[in-house]
Amino acid sequence: MLNRTAENVARATPEPLARKVRGISDKGLAWLFISPTILLLLAINIFPLFWAIYLSFTNFRANRPNEVVKNLGFANYQRILADKDIWIAMQTTAHFVFWTILLQTLIGFTLAWLIDRKFRGHAFWTTLILVPMMLSPAVVGNFWRFLYEPQIGLFAYAISFVTGIPPTNIQMLSNVSLAPWSIIIVDTWMWTPYVMLICLAGLRSIPEYIYEAAEVDRASNWRQFWSITLPMALPFIMLAVLFRGIENFKMFDMVNLLTGGGPGSTTEVASITLKRQAFESWRTGYSSAFAIILFVAVFGLANIYVKALNKVKQR
Amino acid sequence: MSLTTAHSVVAPSANSKRIAGAIIIAYALISIVPLLWIFATSFKTPPDSIAYPPKLLFQPSLEGYCNLFTTRTRQTPEYINSLGPATDFCDETTRKRNMVIAGPSNFLPRFVNSLIIAFGSTFCAVFLGTLSAYGFSRFKVPLADDLLFFILSTRMMPPIAVAIPIYLMYRELGLSDTALGMILLYTAVNVSLAVWLLKGFIDEIPREYEEAAMIDGYTRLQAFWRTVLPQATTGIAATAIFCLIFAWNEYAFAALLTSGTAQTAPPFIPTIIGEGGQDWPAVAAGTTIFLVPILVFTILLRKQLLRGITFGAVRK
Amino acid sequence: MTLTSPQKRKSRWPVWARRGLMENIATVLIALGFLMLFQPFALSLYTYSFITMLAGTVMFIIVSKFPE
Repeated sequence: MLNRTAENVARATPEPLARKVRGISDKGLAWLFISPTILLLLAINIFPLFWAIYLSFTNFRANRPNEVVKNLGFANYQRILADKDIWIAMQTTAHFVFWTILLQTLIGFTLAWLIDRKFRGHAFWTTLILVPMMLSPAVVGNFWRFLYEPQIGLFAYAISFVTGIPPTNIQMLSNVSLAPWSIIIVDTWMWTPYVMLICLAGLRSIPEYIYEAAEVDRASNWRQFWSITLPMALPFIMLAVLFRGIENFKMFDMVNLLTGGGPGSTTEVASITLKRQAFESWRTGYSSAFAIILFVAVFGLANIYVKALNKVKQR
Repeated sequence: MSLTTAHSVVAPSANSKRIAGAIIIAYALISIVPLLWIFATSFKTPPDSIAYPPKLLFQPSLEGYCNLFTTRTRQTPEYINSLGPATDFCDETTRKRNMVIAGPSNFLPRFVNSLIIAFGSTFCAVFLGTLSAYGFSRFKVPLADDLLFFILSTRMMPPIAVAIPIYLMYRELGLSDTALGMILLYTAVNVSLAVWLLKGFIDEIPREYEEAAMIDGYTRLQAFWRTVLPQATTGIAATAIFCLIFAWNEYAFAALLTSGTAQTAPPFIPTIIGEGGQDWPAVAAGTTIFLVPILVFTILLRKQLLRGITFGAVRK
Repeated sequence: MTLTSPQKRKSRWPVWARRGLMENIATVLIALGFLMLFQPFALSLYTYSFITMLAGTVMFIIVSKFPE
């Protein structure tokens, strides 16, 4: 009975009014639902960010909280942006980002292209390939130190088995020229599946009739690949590249556990420098400025990433 | 290449399928070797684990697991002989190495910390995320795109850059090295993923259901509770697993902000050392125990993985 | 400029300041900032990389409010 009256009232009243009658208004409910998340993010992310911006203009040191804090203006930024060591850390980061993205994109796309052939059992093998990317980079990266051990490690043994180089000479983590590659190998092993999965989605989004049309036009396979497959999958590849770029630009855990920035500072990527400055030298103001610089870089890329996301979404 | 034999003009030929299959299987097998090696090492004895050449065949032993859960001290053979008979397997293997078990190791408390922090933060993130995602999906929120971007961008921040002010803030608030502090932090990081993923899932639920429910006299809140939530369970479950995996795997914040009572497993496992360096069987045992839940979840999630890693944008 | 195709473009917003074009310029600016940050050739380019990226990012945020 009551239900029917409510129904009748609902039908009789115009929409906006009807919504107001039923408890909280939609607008109120929307804010009630969204504001807790926004408040949490303001407290845990944005407030600390502004604090870091403030600190970046000072000489504050977290291990000496009672010292008088001096305002330095832009001095921290000027120092970082003229510092040769940090410039070199950036180049180390660039080397790492460039090679990991290149390898992951090439291997990942090739794998996706092969899986797209839908051979028997491809679903099972695809799932198996995807496993490494879900695992903890820190915990698995730590175990790779064992695989890289010169004599007893499986990796060194396998390489020496194939190449004939004595296994004691394969010092992946302590050799200056090999150490950066040891990180690149683990990162590629771990994240190629990520690129592969997104590329696979890109390849599967290409409608079959385009290929059928090309077949009618007698376009060669090579031609089809370059003028249909690659351009159509490109937004997806870009998406994967951008995300891996952001992630590897700020890479910390794997590098920290595999080499800790060593030997010397050959694998000292930006995050490791930042950690050393902030949590070992305790130059909080200085490292805050560095953190803001890294943050602006990531934020810029994030803008482009969201644009790429929207592009893919429209497909 | 002639395509006349295939059913469709564009279907790959049987030969190319075979070659593709062979390459993929080879890659999958090679890429899984490190994981198999972790598993194998966890069942080796310390001497077996550092043998040269690396041992493929060995006598399996649980010594690694014993060492993972205990701390041991070296004793003289006379002292060990003066003790009574060994009570269990771990006791026996430890004595064979001229050591006695001194007590439990920190692994179990660290593992429990990981569980508490991962589940706690997942629950909070999914709860907040579901509400916000519904808000963004169904209502006209002013500046919705900007808010969504803001929410996503918080996840992109470099962890070390965030950790500096968080460290100071937590020191002031007394939250450093507490489970509550880590839960809050992981919730903040995960809520962005939860909002984006769940918005995608809720967008897919037709509005007609709620509208029908509201015509039946339900309020908007009741309609949300009775029609949207039940239909979003798959999405909520998938989102929860993604959040859980992130919080479970996270290392940077945990390593910088926790040191003792609230330390999680990822920063702890690398510090497991035995005599003369890292005790690899114990590390492998800890790693195996740590990874098995993720393996199970990955298999459960395989259909939703793509959505998860693209923040819900690519749905296939 | 809007006079050239009055039927197509209803808004009085100038063509050069439309979202698509300006967003691309901002994207190029951010990418350029990254190249300057990462290049190993000149320290001065590295010094000005931050301000380039900042300019690109700020521009991107402002420009994304422009009409399509």
